[in-house]
Amino acid sequence: YLSAGSRLRLEAAFSFLLLLAGAQALVPSHRLAARDLARLRAVLERPLTDVRSAYYSIVGLNSLGLRVADEKAACKFIKSHVDSSSVESLFYAAQSIQVLSGCEVTISNETRELLLAAVSEDSSVTQIFHAVGALSGFGLPLASQEALSALTARLSKEESVLTTIQALETASYLSQQADLSSIVEEIEDLVARLDDLGGVYLQFEEGIETTALFVAAAYKLSDHVGTEPAIKEDQVIQLVNAIFSKKNFETLSEAFSVARAAGSLSQNRFHLPLIVVPDGPAAVSHHQPLLRLQVTNVMSQLLTQVSVKLDQAKSVSNKATVLQQLPFTLSGDFFELNFMSVKPASGYYDFSISVDGDKRFIANKVELKVKVSTEVGITNVDLSTVDKDQSIAPKTTRVAYPAKAKGSFIADSHQNFALSFQLIDVNSGAELIPHQTFVRLHNQKTGQEVVFVAEPDSKNVYKFELDTSERKTEFDSASGTYTLYLIIGDATLENPILWNVADVVITFPEEDAPSTVQSKNLFVPKPEIQHLFREPEKRPPTVVSNTFTALVLSPLLLLLILWIKIGANISNFSFAPSTIVFHMGHAAMLGLMYVYWTQLNMFQTLKYLAILGGITFLAGNRMLAQKAVKR
Amino acid sequence: MAGSVRAVARRFLSEYGGGTAGRLKALDAFLLYVLLTGALQFGYCLGVGTFPFNSFLSGFISAVGSFILGAVCLRIQINPQNKGEFQGISPERAFADFLFANTILHLVVINFVG
Repeated sequence: YLSAGSRLRLEAAFSFLLLLAGAQALVPSHRLAARDLARLRAVLERPLTDVRSAYYSIVGLNSLGLRVADEKAACKFIKSHVDSSSVESLFYAAQSIQVLSGCEVTISNETRELLLAAVSEDSSVTQIFHAVGALSGFGLPLASQEALSALTARLSKEESVLTTIQALETASYLSQQADLSSIVEEIEDLVARLDDLGGVYLQFEEGIETTALFVAAAYKLSDHVGTEPAIKEDQVIQLVNAIFSKKNFETLSEAFSVARAAGSLSQNRFHLPLIVVPDGPAAVSHHQPLLRLQVTNVMSQLLTQVSVKLDQAKSVSNKATVLQQLPFTLSGDFFELNFMSVKPASGYYDFSISVDGDKRFIANKVELKVKVSTEVGITNVDLSTVDKDQSIAPKTTRVAYPAKAKGSFIADSHQNFALSFQLIDVNSGAELIPHQTFVRLHNQKTGQEVVFVAEPDSKNVYKFELDTSERKTEFDSASGTYTLYLIIGDATLENPILWNVADVVITFPEEDAPSTVQSKNLFVPKPEIQHLFREPEKRPPTVVSNTFTALVLSPLLLLLILWIKIGANISNFSFAPSTIVFHMGHAAMLGLMYVYWTQLNMFQTLKYLAILGGITFLAGNRMLAQKAVKR
Repeated sequence: MAGSVRAVARRFLSEYGGGTAGRLKALDAFLLYVLLTGALQFGYCLGVGTFPFNSFLSGFISAVGSFILGAVCLRIQINPQNKGEFQGISPERAFADFLFANTILHLVVINFVG
């Protein structure tokens, strides 16, 4: 097991190697900014309602380095509201009184006995924690070794994140003579239980409040025993991100936990997370050549007893190192560096900054993207009309920004209009290629505008040519006088340009000119779609179908005639009951068929058919049997 | 040629009239009726069109089915000249079968006629 000092040296060497490898170290993305602190204070400074809220307010504000508004009133409040029969209430009172200045209280013997009795294996971890805290807060003697054994015994039975955190805090009240190493090892176990969210946040699944209480308790115990807590640098940063991502504090206990975490992360013996804050956007220019930074801790308290150094500054576009190993100078609250002194080209630069001064610093190597802005100038602006047949030499007119060219230029079927210019950095004279170089032609009469992009050639000279026959679709073949504008813009330019350069009279061939120029309005109602319903099938006229119905029924007539002719009769009809039932049943079945056609479905029909069919079958059976016998 | 056809037809009719029992003749009249009905339905369909097709099918199948049941099942089994072929089936039994089969056929027909 390495001692704290050599371990730190090893970590420093490792961080240096990481920097050489160009690895990005984790930096805090959240902190308690001034606004957040104000909100936290507002919650903690609410009027006191009971001893517990008094404890949260008083101790919470103390962690932030603030004091309660009226300490005497708070002291009186606690003394009147404390419940001497409750260990928890005594704990809150004791801890609050310890923080308030000039607040004295006498403890009766009964109270002392109560507290001492609570420190045993029969009480829960929370009760032991409150009892030990109360005894310590009142300044009463306490048997540390017995308390420790009770605590460890109880902890093995009640294993949870919250009880372990309470055990850590309890141990911080016990004497250093006792062997607190078993409790200190719990820190490592708890760290293993933290959930890593995206590599940025580290928190318990129980929530931010528990995570904040853990941080406070871990550092309190570590400070007490003098051992560095088993939390890695990156993990500390992730804890910072998680705890200070909460900006709204609904309950007092939440606010209290965040305040204590903030306090412990700003003042402990081992780890101090740093935050490097640029003044406004990290941008420099000729008007503002200084890059100004502030170095704060998690509570936005300024740290000025540090040294800030630029390790290297590299251009993003060509990866060339522009500056190396330059210290920042402290001016008031800010650390400043004059970047423009090396005359950097405009663009973005990656700054690697390191902050030193204390071995406890964490996240003291920061990467910052700095923008260097400049001003653009347009030079060598040449407007010319080029004859298509190339029989006449092109006429060139030079214009200087911001003047407008006198007279108008003509572009028609014989002549093309051409524009060329160069863009330079006003301060350095270097050629610039901004992101936006547009040529805008605006029809004065119809309000149409067409925008083209001017492209640079190999020598970084921008050229634009207007050929009426090629470009007539963009213009909708609308001839007329157009105003030409040049638009230059970029993120690194301080002076974007909109320049009315000249007027151009464009004439398109007559046969393509539309009668009226319609503005392409995309938002007019479109033609209505008529839904075509399915055409019903073609039916024959009613006369035809009625005729055929009569025709189809005519064979029935023929049948009756034939039967009469043959001599079929019903003379053999016997009026036996089975015969009657059979014929009735059969007739009913035929009737059922008709009803099925008009009303019923298959299932209902089958049901009735089963009944009728059964009756008819039995009757018919009897009838036919009788007939057979008669024969 | 025409003469021999007429002679055959006359001979057939006289033999038929004499040699067939009254019951069978009544049944034959029924079968003729069913045949004509089916033929007329088919003619309508050819002439005017198949709409609605399901009604045409059900009507036509009813005609065809009834004809087959009447001619093949009932008539054959009732004919006394065929008694040797159908030993165990009495005319009453044949008639009962005819009725049963017709019921099922017309159940389907009515379902389909729409």
